[in-house]
Amino acid sequence: MFDEMYDGAKSRKEYKIIEDWVAREGIEALLTKRDEAESLFRRIGITFAVYGEGGDPDRLIPFDMIPRVFGPAEWDKIERGSIQRADALNAFLRDIYSDREIIRAGKVPEAMILNNEAYEPVVQGYTPPLGIYSHVVGVDLVRVSEDELYVLEDNCRTPSGVSYVLQNREVMSRMFPELFQSNMIRPVDGYGDMLAEAMQAAAPPMCEGEPTLALLTPGHFNSAYFEHSFLADQMGIELVEGGDLFVKDNRVYMRTTQGPERVDVLYRRIDDAFLDPKAFRPDSMLGVPGIIDAMKAGGVTIVNAPGAGVADDKAIYTYVPDMIRFYLGEEPILPNVPTWRCAEDEDYKYVMAHLPELVVKEVHGSGGYGMLIGPAATKEEIQTYAKRIEADPDGFIAQPTLALSTAPVLTEHGLAPRHVDLRPFVISGKTTRLIPSGLTRVAMREGSLVVNSSQGGGVKDTWVLNAEVN
Amino acid sequence: MLSRTANGLFWMSRYVERMENVARLLDAGRRMENLPQPPGAKATEWRSIVIASGCKTTFPAPLDQASRDNVPQHLVFDADNPSSLRQCARSARENARAMRTALTSEVWDAVNQTWAEMRRRGPDDTLGGRDLSEFIDWVKSRGALIRGHIDATLLRDEGHAFIEMGKWIERADATARILDVKYHVLLPSSSDVGGGLDYLQWLQVLRAANSATAYRHLYRRTIDPEGVVDLLVRNARSPRSLAAGARGVCNALESIGAHTNAQRAAHARAKALCTKLRADAVEQVIADGLHEWLTDFIYEINDLADQIGVAYGFDGQEVRLSEAAQ
Repeated sequence: MFDEMYDGAKSRKEYKIIEDWVAREGIEALLTKRDEAESLFRRIGITFAVYGEGGDPDRLIPFDMIPRVFGPAEWDKIERGSIQRADALNAFLRDIYSDREIIRAGKVPEAMILNNEAYEPVVQGYTPPLGIYSHVVGVDLVRVSEDELYVLEDNCRTPSGVSYVLQNREVMSRMFPELFQSNMIRPVDGYGDMLAEAMQAAAPPMCEGEPTLALLTPGHFNSAYFEHSFLADQMGIELVEGGDLFVKDNRVYMRTTQGPERVDVLYRRIDDAFLDPKAFRPDSMLGVPGIIDAMKAGGVTIVNAPGAGVADDKAIYTYVPDMIRFYLGEEPILPNVPTWRCAEDEDYKYVMAHLPELVVKEVHGSGGYGMLIGPAATKEEIQTYAKRIEADPDGFIAQPTLALSTAPVLTEHGLAPRHVDLRPFVISGKTTRLIPSGLTRVAMREGSLVVNSSQGGGVKDTWVLNAEVN
Repeated sequence: MLSRTANGLFWMSRYVERMENVARLLDAGRRMENLPQPPGAKATEWRSIVIASGCKTTFPAPLDQASRDNVPQHLVFDADNPSSLRQCARSARENARAMRTALTSEVWDAVNQTWAEMRRRGPDDTLGGRDLSEFIDWVKSRGALIRGHIDATLLRDEGHAFIEMGKWIERADATARILDVKYHVLLPSSSDVGGGLDYLQWLQVLRAANSATAYRHLYRRTIDPEGVVDLLVRNARSPRSLAAGARGVCNALESIGAHTNAQRAAHARAKALCTKLRADAVEQVIADGLHEWLTDFIYEINDLADQIGVAYGFDGQEVRLSEAAQ
């Protein structure tokens, strides 16, 4: 099993700063400061967002103080690989909603698209400004060795968690300013500007002059409201709810005290189904009636575009390497995890014969629920799960159990290894880029492979160094 | 600014002010209860507090059974009473939370902490003899703290003006209600008008409005109805007078500005209210019936608030730019 900090007893060179720091502070002192960090985090969290209103403790995600570190060469690969992936996914969306060349070329079966719940027929024929459907793509990565990284899944709809990236850094730099005085750690401050620039670049055809941006939230009862208000703050744009907006003559307006004010580009953080009761769920109270027509008429750009989810489910995932070759003429920089599609006979047979060593997932599942982790499951659990696969082979994919890398977390008994993953956030505007960091999620329980926050996962500050350490 | 944001700030401010004013009413009840009564006279001060706080419809018992045992409970804790201190703190906090990006962290912390401490309280540690007056002081100090942070940390923009407007409307409404308490507290007999108990009751009204010292300073004579009404209605030097309230509303509207005919109409109505408060002579008001005059005022200020709300889009409809405005 690959540990990102320790190579045997000695630390890898990227982690020299961390090793020195832990030795200098001592575990005891760090544990005391952990409480301090917790309350600082809680305070900022509460200040921004009001998590932790009693009775709902899982809302404040545990924060581990030991940063995760990437050297420049490691990051370079992640950066290029994530950008390549986001570019291919956007090319795929552009193609699917227009000529579907990839289907005609026989690379992706048409049924994969048309039977996909996330495919939105109303978007067919609509090409957004710059041809970008998914302006923010979260690429979930896992590492298994010094130089082997795999893409676990893509998030093309409304990936969340970037506010933790920025806040974790804020808390760390307040608690341990001396760590950052080495001038080795690349800053993450640019995220808001980067996203705002991409939104400006996506101004719709009917927009004259500087586009007005806004962020659409389901409201302050939503569990991610804190991130919504935080991001609106970072970008200096209005945080609006569906009721604040209306459509007239294919333009979108906010209701303000001085009359209607036009909105040109809308970063929506509500699901497709709720976006427009005229186009999708008629009972939605959260959306804006007529906004889809306005979008198609060129009166507003919706970020990310409705229907972008067709590129990120677990069945489509297996085709992404082909997309990269087909649209970009390149080999994937970051490979997929080898995946068996139970929909295909050969794969189905293999999966059913090897369940105890595989991880099986629902094609449309998310959040780490409904999966089978073969090596950790009992015989009965495997048998029950096998029946589910048998009943609906199309609904499942399987992957080998990966030896996920670990990174050290602070515990009462000193540093201890825990499994981690990484979600960089790729922003597509005039160019495709990302801030030098990402969301590191960490399984806080010993041996656990599940890093999802809904199941007790925590987060870490994630560093990218600006020069190699010798 | 988004109409929804303006609406949220306006109501946050009204609930903060209402919380403080309900606490003042409770204080008036507590003080009047201790006044000596002629033997056999029926105490009516708690009944009057229920009426004045506008809680007649939510009060769970018949009005003539209002007493020290059930009124403070209703005004402090009852969840069915939207004006109970607990609900005020909660509503202020809910509005602040939804408008978090329009507030500074100081203001948010103060509002949030007020609710956090309020929700921890129960009747046992709050409503007893000495506990109640200490609690009332605490509520008033929370109101002062929140106002202080608003004053010291918020940008003087449209949001601040809507907060100011909410405060002044709520305070004018409350002062009118506190004055009206005196009408509802019955004197044992009509011959007592102008008598010792009458005097003491007026004094408690002044105290509830935090204006007893100001009265002595400004009028230099013993407390009489004309003086109290003048101070709490017409005298714009008193920060709790109706005149100060109406002027505050006009100032806030002026800094917000009028962009539509509906907004201009609301401004004109607010100005007319200011003028009326200057023009009405105190003697005439009392002769015509203070209670009726106050009832009209309470209606007018609340109807004005509604009209302002509609003009600035609080109801979720867009503010329509009239042709003249474009």
